[in-house]
Amino acid sequence: MSSNPLPANSSRLGGCTLTGAISVTSHVRDTVTVVHGPKGCSHHNVSLLHASWLEDDRAVLPELLSSGLSEKDVIFGGEEALRRTIGVAATKEGVRAVLVLSTCVVGSIGDDVTSVCSEEYGVPVVPISSAGFLGGTFQDGMNNALVALAGTASPCDTNRSVNIIGEMNLEYEVEENYREVERLLALLNLPVNIRFVHNTGWEELSRLGAAELNILRGPALVPVGEYLKERFDTPFIASFPQGLSGTLSFVREVAAFFGIDGQAALREECRRQEEMLDQFSDLRRVPVSLERVHSGEDELLAAEELAAALDLVMGTPGTCAKLPVNAAVGTSGTKRMLHRWRRAVHA
Amino acid sequence: MPECDNPLWPCAMTGAAACLAGFDGLAVVIHGSSGCYYYPMTLLHAPLHGTFILEDDVIFGSEDRLMEVIGSLSGTGKKIAVITTCVPALLGEDIRSMLADHDVILVDSPGFAGDVETGYQKALAMLDPRTDPAAPGVNIDGACLFDPFAAGNVQEVRRLLGMVSVPVATVFSSDLLGRVYHAAPFTIGTNADFPSGVGDYLGGMLGFGAIRETFARLGDSFGNADCTPVFSELEQQEERVVRACDKFLRRYDPPSAAIFAGCSYALFAAEALHTYLDAEICCIGTRNTPCESRFPVEETSSLSRVRDLIVSHNPDLVIGSSFERSLHERGGFAGIIPPLRGRVKIYPAPLAGINGMLSFMESVLNTCMDTKP
Repeated sequence: MSSNPLPANSSRLGGCTLTGAISVTSHVRDTVTVVHGPKGCSHHNVSLLHASWLEDDRAVLPELLSSGLSEKDVIFGGEEALRRTIGVAATKEGVRAVLVLSTCVVGSIGDDVTSVCSEEYGVPVVPISSAGFLGGTFQDGMNNALVALAGTASPCDTNRSVNIIGEMNLEYEVEENYREVERLLALLNLPVNIRFVHNTGWEELSRLGAAELNILRGPALVPVGEYLKERFDTPFIASFPQGLSGTLSFVREVAAFFGIDGQAALREECRRQEEMLDQFSDLRRVPVSLERVHSGEDELLAAEELAAALDLVMGTPGTCAKLPVNAAVGTSGTKRMLHRWRRAVHA
Repeated sequence: MPECDNPLWPCAMTGAAACLAGFDGLAVVIHGSSGCYYYPMTLLHAPLHGTFILEDDVIFGSEDRLMEVIGSLSGTGKKIAVITTCVPALLGEDIRSMLADHDVILVDSPGFAGDVETGYQKALAMLDPRTDPAAPGVNIDGACLFDPFAAGNVQEVRRLLGMVSVPVATVFSSDLLGRVYHAAPFTIGTNADFPSGVGDYLGGMLGFGAIRETFARLGDSFGNADCTPVFSELEQQEERVVRACDKFLRRYDPPSAAIFAGCSYALFAAEALHTYLDAEICCIGTRNTPCESRFPVEETSSLSRVRDLIVSHNPDLVIGSSFERSLHERGGFAGIIPPLRGRVKIYPAPLAGINGMLSFMESVLNTCMDTKP
């Protein structure tokens, strides 16, 4: 990206709250997401979701309804367009709720979205703060949507289960990452209560308070974890596990929380990791460097630990294979990254 | 009905970016937020710059940020073009005055101003293209970065012009910026939805009939051009299409087809299917303003309307984008407009020219045979 963003201005690259919020709301089944703004804003996101869902082998597109603000609405106000659009959404067949997102255009012209949403439409209408870049970043939009949806659920009886909070639904390997966490939980005989949210039905959201532990996808979701703790008294673990020791620590932490003897699970996971490292022993002593530019601190630490476990030799960048570094979730994610490392060594 | 479910066509800002980013020698700046920047960046696969404005820029004015980005680009030797997005357009700042001391092209093309074609036209007009009576050859227009067939179209038209020894002048919009101001007096088109309006239009290159007519005019306009090689290849390749389609019809009924595209590509597809396969054209849904046609046509810009048309006509074949394919999973499909997700596309296939027609009919015949019981 040749945008010349100065380091001090790195927040400028945070993306759009609308996209962040849509990445959540589009995964709530039986609802329609209304995007209050020009059609172009919705198209951008429809196109993005379409691409991401096809990668996920899901052909069906989410329901996004744009209020289609025109130049005239921008001048005279768009509240009537929003009212009409919510009305259309609410009467669609099978719709249990309408989730309303706004755009930076609406934030600029000052429409009172909350007031329009508070009117009677026959189904719940949930306004979600998402005024494009005026509302913050992609992550803010995601967090706002999760908090708004959590606000529709009430505290309920708990059972011995775990919620998965804030999966990155636009992430290419979102399903694989979920399955890895589900596998690790299964080592401790713990079921998943709900995925909040990933292809989740509107009615399922009422079970949000039933889990005894929330596992967040990443630390950026801590504000959501704190909200859920306050609303449902559910504690949280701040991130999916990353890397070799991170995965073992995760199993240990979850076992300790539930008062489970996790030794058998840990032995099983250690054996799995050793077998995996044996499969990649051909990489031993190969000179490499790590791709650091777009990598987070935790990802790099996990990658460095992995490189040490494989006895790779850190060489001078530019003179040896550059290994891609990504957030490798669990042992399975680490194994997929190792295949990419082997590919980088070969080509 | 202004509200629209799952809008299928990009906004004017994206169209302006698609036009300007096609010219080498222009540094294109999207004056807006990162959200507005990312979409054209991922769609167009071209270098774009952004101001990435924040809330503070809205409150206190965006001039400093705009000047910061323009200043950083001023040493690159490229002319700078600034495209306004929705919020800067709403702020009421006098961006033209801000830029008065800089040699910058300003394109006021916010998303709410219209669709991709509107923005493309606005941007091209702001470049102020001019013809040069002394410029040799013929211009090619209709090449828009937004169109996945644009590169293939230009390659194919270059090949055909090479066969008749007519040089290519300016390609709109895929050329050196300087050539915009020295365009030839004649132009041929690859996609009439993105016209340049520059020079005398000799015709389009979509379909064998159009190619034949265009090259006939080209021969008349360029006295020394011998178009025989193109006419000869046209004859040979049309015969191949006829044979392939005839073989299909010996075994199968003609397909019924629903077509969704911009006007230009939609009509090309309809005429080709009707002419060579005797296909029934159930409906044409145009993403942009409908054009006149002997087939039933309506503007269709939302996914629900596309779904209604497909369900009500239940066609054997759907032509469109991967949006349409997602609604017609088990039937035949050929993709001619973006987005074309879920398929690897590396080779620059054309729709225009002789090879464009061959490529289109090949994909249609294969998908029709693949989906026959």
